[in-house]
Amino acid sequence: MRQTSPAALKFFAAVVLVAACAGAPPATSTSPPAARPTPVSVPSPTGAPTAAPLTLVDDEGTTTTLPGVPATVVSLTPATTELIFALGAGDKLRGRTDQDDYPAQASALPVVATFEGVHLEDVVGIAPDLVVAGGNNFTHADDIARLRGLGIPVIVVYAANTDGVLADIELVGKAVGEDQAATGIVGAIQARIDEVTAAVAGLDRPRTFYEIGYEPDIYGPAPESFVADMVNLAGGDPITTTDPAVYSISLEQLVTADPRVIVLGDAPYGTCPDSVASRAGWTGMTAVQDGNIRPVDDIVVTRPGPRLGEGLAALALAIHPEADIATPTAGTDYCPTL
Amino acid sequence: MSAVATQAAIVRGPAWLARLRHRPVWLGVLGVAALIVVAAAGVMLGTVPVAPADTIAILGHRLVGIPQIVTWPASAETIVWELRLPRVLMALSVGAGLSLAGVALQGLLRNPLADPYVLGTASGAALGAAIGILVPVQFALLGFGLVHVLAFLGALGAVAVVYRVSRLGGLSSLSSVLLTGYAIGSLLAAGLAITMYLSGQNLRQIFFYLLGSFSLASWPQIAIGLPIIVIGAAILLTRARALNALMLGEETAAHLGLDVRRERLVLLATASLVTAAAVAMAGLIGFVGLVVPHVVRLVAGPNARSLLPLSAIWGAAFLIVADLIARLPGELPVGVITGVIGAPFFLLVLRRYRGGYEL
Repeated sequence: MRQTSPAALKFFAAVVLVAACAGAPPATSTSPPAARPTPVSVPSPTGAPTAAPLTLVDDEGTTTTLPGVPATVVSLTPATTELIFALGAGDKLRGRTDQDDYPAQASALPVVATFEGVHLEDVVGIAPDLVVAGGNNFTHADDIARLRGLGIPVIVVYAANTDGVLADIELVGKAVGEDQAATGIVGAIQARIDEVTAAVAGLDRPRTFYEIGYEPDIYGPAPESFVADMVNLAGGDPITTTDPAVYSISLEQLVTADPRVIVLGDAPYGTCPDSVASRAGWTGMTAVQDGNIRPVDDIVVTRPGPRLGEGLAALALAIHPEADIATPTAGTDYCPTL
Repeated sequence: MSAVATQAAIVRGPAWLARLRHRPVWLGVLGVAALIVVAAAGVMLGTVPVAPADTIAILGHRLVGIPQIVTWPASAETIVWELRLPRVLMALSVGAGLSLAGVALQGLLRNPLADPYVLGTASGAALGAAIGILVPVQFALLGFGLVHVLAFLGALGAVAVVYRVSRLGGLSSLSSVLLTGYAIGSLLAAGLAITMYLSGQNLRQIFFYLLGSFSLASWPQIAIGLPIIVIGAAILLTRARALNALMLGEETAAHLGLDVRRERLVLLATASLVTAAAVAMAGLIGFVGLVVPHVVRLVAGPNARSLLPLSAIWGAAFLIVADLIARLPGELPVGVITGVIGAPFFLLVLRRYRGGYEL
């Protein structure tokens, strides 16, 4: 499955040599003999501190072996970009997607992928030691195959639930050589999850609709999706769509489900609780009559990254405002008048 | 309607162009020169700067094995050889192929709105590709996945159905062929809409397929797609006499000794084959196959003997330029660019030759 073509081997050999000889990005290496792609087998260079091969198994089960800890990394999802900064390896990043907006330093990185796909030429020009891509077609599967075909190592991360996110943090931590930092982040998130779980354990579990979007259809979490898992953890009984592949829910279904709490994940996009009460057909719902409509920051709640614990806390407080949970540092700063 | 009247109607425009019109060879020479220039630009330019000297050295090294002292980084060689050159070759072959298919179908159907997609190929290919994207079977052979194969088969299947259905009662009228194409196309488009509605997460992929792109061009794709287009183009280039005769109407063409039924089948099958190969490689790139033949006809006249090769050359050059414009700002869909730069240019040409012409 892994690349074995001569061209790929040449490229791989060049990466090994350049990475071992200098910490500089291979594309701008000033040592021409090292940059010469030769099909010779490259012995592990002696004296380099990071030369121990690094074997990674990604979320699609693909095994990638790197010659050492990568010096340059391109991240193709907002969550992994955020994570790599949180791990303290932000200085290794050489490229991101146009969606990667956090932390602020991320916006200084060149954009090498957009909604349409990966800009192959830009990534090859960067010649990163590793590309971290998103699974479940977040990064186009054809683009991943093409990058690998060109000899660029790619790991694919995709988490279906919170446990998966924690595993991904460990994986990316290992990939950028920050295993300890990853363990620390995982521990902090796990502590927050435990805190939230304990706080909501004795409370009732209200039927909760997490609104992902309102127009043109009503969009909510699919069954067994990441968001549904989060609502469960936060002490709610998630109202989901009919099928894992369906993201919209009809108003009739929603009225029938009669949510007791509505969480507005679309608050960052301008949807606030007062506007919900004025929607045609929504007034009969218990949540609307009781005024249990609360905004959260969808990005913090649903992005499978290092702020997951804060997102979960924000979501739990939106479902159970009375719960004994420390105020989250992110995810609640929308629709401040309410 | 007659060829003489058509010739007379278009003799307008600046004097130097009028002279060129009588020397289509020079238009061809000019076209080949333009093609070489834009192809060179396509390989030289990109979002990552590669020194022109390095580009030439890499091409010399890889194409003809000139021994070189390697002064460029490995990434430059990958960019020039694995990314840009296949892209330029794919744009060239798709541009030439779609333009030739456009000439053939406009001539065959004697309809100025005919293009390579008019008889259901577009909807058939799109539906095939969409199904290929949704089917969770991972299949890849030499750079071609299920998407490409189903797009190819979808395009050919749609035309085959149109041909069978419209052939009822022997030699059917042209309007009935066109309307059948429209009906089958609409049916397939409805199927596509349902598929897109059900596609969830994969909608993005289908959407970008519909806009067309050369961003995943690779050598294996060229190795399979290029021969199909070259063979189809070669066959179409030999049909000049038939296209000229068909311009006079099918009855007259038959009186001139043309086997209309056979020519119709050959033209339709070849144009569809070329179109199917083009859409399988690059998705649905509109406008090229419609407008390039018209522009060439306006400038060089309707004689298929010059119209066919000139359309191929200028269509190839146009699509290479459109792809270059699409990728320089960072991967816009090329199908958008062909419309954005092609439509105003076409309007300009139409204005210049106000007399127009009739097919």
